[in-house]
Amino acid sequence: MNPDLFLQLDFSSWYANVRNQFIRCFIENDRYKLLVNGIGVTIKVSLVALLFGLIIGMIIAMCNLSKKKPIRAIGLVYTDIIRGTPSVTQLMIIYFVVFASINISKWFIAAIAFGINSGAYVSEIIRAGILSIDHGQTEAGRSLGLGSFQTMRKIVLPQALKNIFPALCNEFIVLIKETAIVGYIGLMDIQKAGDFIKSATYLPFMPLIATAIIYYVLIKLLNLGLKKIENALRKSDVRSTR
Amino acid sequence: MIEVKNLKKHFGSNEVLKGINQHISKGEVVAIIGPSGSGKSTFLRCLNQLEETTEGEIYVDGELINTPKADINKIRRKMGMVFQQFNLFPHLSVKKNVTLAPVMLKTMTKEEADKRAIDLLKKVGLEDKAEAYPNSLSGGQKQRVAIARALAMDPEIMLFDEPTSALDPEMVGEVLDVIKELAESGMTMVIVTHEMGFAREVASRVLFIDQGVVMEEGTPSEIFENPKNERTKLFLSKVL
Repeated sequence: MNPDLFLQLDFSSWYANVRNQFIRCFIENDRYKLLVNGIGVTIKVSLVALLFGLIIGMIIAMCNLSKKKPIRAIGLVYTDIIRGTPSVTQLMIIYFVVFASINISKWFIAAIAFGINSGAYVSEIIRAGILSIDHGQTEAGRSLGLGSFQTMRKIVLPQALKNIFPALCNEFIVLIKETAIVGYIGLMDIQKAGDFIKSATYLPFMPLIATAIIYYVLIKLLNLGLKKIENALRKSDVRSTR
Repeated sequence: MIEVKNLKKHFGSNEVLKGINQHISKGEVVAIIGPSGSGKSTFLRCLNQLEETTEGEIYVDGELINTPKADINKIRRKMGMVFQQFNLFPHLSVKKNVTLAPVMLKTMTKEEADKRAIDLLKKVGLEDKAEAYPNSLSGGQKQRVAIARALAMDPEIMLFDEPTSALDPEMVGEVLDVIKELAESGMTMVIVTHEMGFAREVASRVLFIDQGVVMEEGTPSEIFENPKNERTKLFLSKVL
């Protein structure tokens, strides 16, 4: 047989095969819609969880920095428990135990669960950020007659947040990927959609690679946006007008 | 104006201030000198309660301030403080550094505070730096901004904690000039300093603090030309 012909045959059969797989995985029964909807679920859960995480993280960080022992203990126990158990266990406990008899959308419960989880890690980042600001800043604020809360809000936190911004971005990226376990409570996010297509078609390659690509692109876009914000935050660092 | 009675301060088992009695009247410029670790900065920081006191009483305008009942934030508005390390807010422009407290505490509207900030920056010779960020300033400029920031609250008393100790020698003069001008305007001031020439020139009274007590006090000429205490003599012989 002519070797050229062999190659050609092989290529065209490979192409036909790929094409066939692609159609079965994504076009048949409009399966691509599962993935598109999954993106929405992942984004929704991640964003709301991020918000909860920041709020909880801030509160827990304040607890950890408190002068009062019982308040510090609250923060300590919280971080200890959350960091000491798997997030999938926490998610399931919150869905099947805590919210078992309460009728709220699944995605919102997932967002709460991930917010609670993320809060423990965010609190440590915020605490480190606050401690990184020289105590003289607090003293300067207080010496002007500002209260401790005002000093924290207007002087310490803005500087701390700028310093910890990269670490917070990191946490947000981890959070997005962490939400890939929401399938455990029956939510159809990107991961679950890919998994579903795999089971329905018995074709693992395409849906799983597609899942990976979608996550990658999402996070890439996010990174680009965050970089812009970080550059804006660095405005006061420019040494120009000496 | 400030009355200090038997002020004691411990850091753990270390007794830093061992009973200080002082009366500072309106318009006085008090310079505090003494060796490192003698407690002079601690004494100054007790006056606006940046350090909690262990024992004794501090009255400002007749009001006891070192008690949990005192509204310390309100009292601190009467007392501006300038730090050795400037402690400007690096995330805010020079003008914002000056206007932050008056605007937040609502002693002025934003427009009034802006106007006052420019006036104060003019006074310290930095009106052209209003929009600059602190990191772009030299040490002397930073400290002058810090003085303007403290003055923005219209304090009755100014506390200076070694205001020139972190400066390069060639920048000391510009800061001392501003402080001197302030003294001449009749501001009540307490200045912890290592600049003996300056203390001599500006102060109406000099305190020599060593080992947590006021060893000797008097007019600059009494202290510098005719010290009575042996420790004062020893100290001055080393620094003059």
